Amino acid sequence: IHLGQNKNLRQLIYGRRESKLTSSTDDVQGSSEDEESDEGEFFKPKGEGIKSVREDFDGDNVNNDDCSKFLNHADVKNWIEEEKYESIRDRFVTGDWSKAGRSGQDSD
Amino acid sequence: MGKTEYKRLKGSQSFRLRLLLSTLTSIPVLIEDIRADDTWPGLRSHEISFLRLLETITDGCHVEINETGTKLKYKPGVVMGGKNLVHDCGLNRAIGYFLEPLLVLGLFGKKPLSIRLKGITNDLKDPSVDTFRLTTLPILKCFDVQEGLDLKIESRGAAPNGGGEVLLSVPIVRDGLKAVMWKDVGMVKRIRGVTFSTRVSVQFENAMRHAARGIFNRLLPDVHIFTDHKAGALSGKSPGYGISLVAETTSGCYLSADTAVSYGQRVEEGAFNDEENNELTPPEEVGEHIASLLLGEIEQGGVVDSTHQGLLFLLCALCPEDVSKVRVGKLSPYGIETLRQIKEFLGIEFAFKPDPSNGTVILICIGSGMKNFARKMS
Repeated sequence: IHLGQNKNLRQLIYGRRESKLTSSTDDVQGSSEDEESDEGEFFKPKGEGIKSVREDFDGDNVNNDDCSKFLNHADVKNWIEEEKYESIRDRFVTGDWSKAGRSGQDSD
Repeated sequence: MGKTEYKRLKGSQSFRLRLLLSTLTSIPVLIEDIRADDTWPGLRSHEISFLRLLETITDGCHVEINETGTKLKYKPGVVMGGKNLVHDCGLNRAIGYFLEPLLVLGLFGKKPLSIRLKGITNDLKDPSVDTFRLTTLPILKCFDVQEGLDLKIESRGAAPNGGGEVLLSVPIVRDGLKAVMWKDVGMVKRIRGVTFSTRVSVQFENAMRHAARGIFNRLLPDVHIFTDHKAGALSGKSPGYGISLVAETTSGCYLSADTAVSYGQRVEEGAFNDEENNELTPPEEVGEHIASLLLGEIEQGGVVDSTHQGLLFLLCALCPEDVSKVRVGKLSPYGIETLRQIKEFLGIEFAFKPDPSNGTVILICIGSGMKNFARKMS
């Protein structure tokens, strides 16, 4: 349906960080002048680091929690309702095999 | 000695992944601004523990940390592997935090790895040791990991005081992994799982099992959830209970969901919390909740669940220079972070092919041709 979706996803994941990534390999040995330039930031307001936290998806907060377990389960559905559990019936061997077969195949 | 070129990075994000990729690619890293603005700045004890673990399994690695712990220099060594290793994971994060990078590193070692890990076996934040056994190891096997992959759960440990022990064995890959074409999700043919309880009545397990089964019953008859009630020394130091489930499909996919409940949730270091608000989720609710999460993962339609996306992408990227194609549901934040770190260290970008018919995405990549360098150096 969305022709541009492919590109969007790519951009979302790699796009914005392009410039940051390419310049990340530096020589550290001669980094003393680097340290000095930090001084200007000494009085940086405390909230500044947090300001860049936009969406979770963005992952722009450099101190994001390192956690693989998927914890964002805000939208847990009520699977007790018949309408809900019937909607995934065909993902089970008890469902319609021909339907499941189709969705499992890839078009290419 | 020439001077070392460090890859410069910022912040504590993707800590394990960065050090893992740094080790595999032999690229030294310098990480700055680690929680620099926090009330309690610098590396956390579980991160220090992970560095110690890296020192344990590698040879010649060099770690330098500044006074405040906000800056880390890491020069990777050679992954040695070896037998009879022991590591205390501490109590800040569960054993699962350490298992994931360890599994991948172990594959590229000089010798097969066999290590005893001590700490918290089941908690809220990290995949449980049961999930590793039921779901993660079968996923690794899809990449042609040879015999010898095993995780034994010897004793349980709930938060906050742990006391659990597991024994992990990882074989080495001789000629690298094998690229995968993994797009067929198949249909769920059975659901398995295990509950645990430590220092509480086994009735908690029965209640969780019963509630979880209640959710699955109308969809599938083949549901078996086993109990693992530990007593005495094998039950660790804290009372707790929890459940880990796996859905297996006709095409060999494994989808997981797990959680654990215990008194005294661990809080971030620096903040102290009395055990005041210890209202625990009742076991019926825990069982129902995890069963619902599993159905949510099944609905997504990926070949792995949200939790395992990162590992899946990483394994694809570490394959020989062949094409891998994998289907996943909605990309998880950790999965996305993994894709970014893969690009950073291996220079590999995945291609994305959304499948509008069912809301999944197919990710395509060409492996980096990662070889087992450690093995060749002898």
